[in-house]
Amino acid sequence: MIRSPDPDLDLTTARIIKAPRSAVWRAWTDRTRFEKWWVPAPAKCRVVDMDLTPGGALVTHISEDGGAFVPHLDACFLAVDDLTRIVFTDTLTAGWRPSESAFMTAVITLSDHPAGTHYAAHVMHRSGADRKMHEEMGFHDGWGTVAAQLAQLVEQTH
Amino acid sequence: MEQYSDRLDTIFQALADPTRRAVLSRLGGGPASISDLARPFDMALPSFMKHIHFLEGSGLIRTHKQGRVRTCAIEKAQFGVVESWLSAQRAVWEGRADRLEQFVTQHEEE
Repeated sequence: MIRSPDPDLDLTTARIIKAPRSAVWRAWTDRTRFEKWWVPAPAKCRVVDMDLTPGGALVTHISEDGGAFVPHLDACFLAVDDLTRIVFTDTLTAGWRPSESAFMTAVITLSDHPAGTHYAAHVMHRSGADRKMHEEMGFHDGWGTVAAQLAQLVEQTH
Repeated sequence: MEQYSDRLDTIFQALADPTRRAVLSRLGGGPASISDLARPFDMALPSFMKHIHFLEGSGLIRTHKQGRVRTCAIEKAQFGVVESWLSAQRAVWEGRADRLEQFVTQHEEE
């Protein structure tokens, strides 16, 4: 099922979190908790829909600089295995409906670790041809804004 | 992993300021002395130096003193960390993992 990461299109990140798996799971699956960490401050996240079942919606809005909440993520859960794994994609929306603008599938896995929980995210992206869209999507994450400015700067100067 | 994230943090903070971005743009054209760099800005030299120190600390530029003139140059290698879309996405996910970790360990300890 899980194929090895493609270095050009995938990213993986992992953390040892010093807390039980149940606590990490709760932070991911409880709307109020999820809103607290999903986007970097000062941006605010609002969970519009989080239906933790295959085909269920994961819809979030974001407010930057205290402005109005605007759509951020419109995704669909593919697998939700209690305390173990969450798979979601924005290539589909709720009910497995094909999405207009999309580029990634994320596999989140939790496993026990002597110090607490091993948390890993494997994020697979569409081909680099969609890079412009990635950059636009990234805007909403704050980081992306700066990254895009930087990319522009680097392209201008080299 | 945390280190990677910290490094990105510093870089993005360095880039979040218009003066610092202008300095980087200028250095994109080639090395320049502090006094040349400071000229277009309406600010006191000590304030301008803070920006230079911040950029140097982030690793985005390096400085070199020869006689009484300190010259700044861009450090291309550091830009590699953030120049591709995949790195931008990585920054997003590293940030999420960091915040999740922080949230869980600060709020959920039982």
